[in-house]
Amino acid sequence: MEYGNLRRQAASLKKSLFDQGYLDEQFCQVEDLQDEANPNFAEEVVSLFFKDSARVMLNFEQAIEKHPKDFARWDAHMQQLKGSCSSIGASRVKNECTSFRNFCGEENAEGCTRSFQKVKREHAVLRQKLESYFQLLRLCSPRYHFQACQILARQHSITNITLPK
Amino acid sequence: MAFQTQGSNLRALLVEDIKVNRMILSQMLRKFQVETTVVQNGKEAVELFLGGETFDIVLTDNLMPIMTGPEAISKIRAMGATDVMIVGVSVDANSMEEFKDAGADLCVPKLKLEILEHILQETRSKKNKSSA
Repeated sequence: MEYGNLRRQAASLKKSLFDQGYLDEQFCQVEDLQDEANPNFAEEVVSLFFKDSARVMLNFEQAIEKHPKDFARWDAHMQQLKGSCSSIGASRVKNECTSFRNFCGEENAEGCTRSFQKVKREHAVLRQKLESYFQLLRLCSPRYHFQACQILARQHSITNITLPK
Repeated sequence: MAFQTQGSNLRALLVEDIKVNRMILSQMLRKFQVETTVVQNGKEAVELFLGGETFDIVLTDNLMPIMTGPEAISKIRAMGATDVMIVGVSVDANSMEEFKDAGADLCVPKLKLEILEHILQETRSKKNKSSA
């Protein structure tokens, strides 16, 4: 695959995520935290976010059943999700969390239920898009290409392959 | 982005229950070579102070299990820890007043690298003045 083309695809996907409001500038802050010691920091944080947020949403679904119309409890769950959305720049999911919390404030159970479905939808869409983004980044990383070259070299009995500086 | 540390020897206490937030804030502090201790709620933070630990800066969330950030701040200040810079970090607009009333020096909705750099510089100046 052409290296430059992959990088362009990744950049284009990232731009579209910002243009469509899925992400905000906080995501750039997370990517800026990457360094040589933590080259995959952004992907690790995002992966943790989706793992944790899936758990929070599952807990919330159980809370809806066990504690119907317990708006304070529902709000507390959503506050937690909103906090982590804000930290990674998951803008649309965060906005749906805010909408949900507003319905809690109004004690509007139907509004809460509808809003939660939107939270789940936005969460699923963002997950899919960010998985694609990080997959593209992995494909155009020098280390990925080096590992691919190593595999090819072994197949053709070529030795002394080193990572270019 | 170049991260200025100016020979940083600051000690920070990070009080945050959400893993993702802990990971991001810890990495931010690491960028500025701040020695960071991490706890997951206000009670653990208070216990550290009770145990004689000292910090130059405390960064704390608001709503946490067992003990909230503002509750912990009140207790820390009541112990006589008036010099430590305490920063409340919460996206919830209602948290700002709670943090201030409890004795926080500063409240921010979101911690960005530029903001953290400024806060750490302020903390360093304050520390240098008090040790002069």
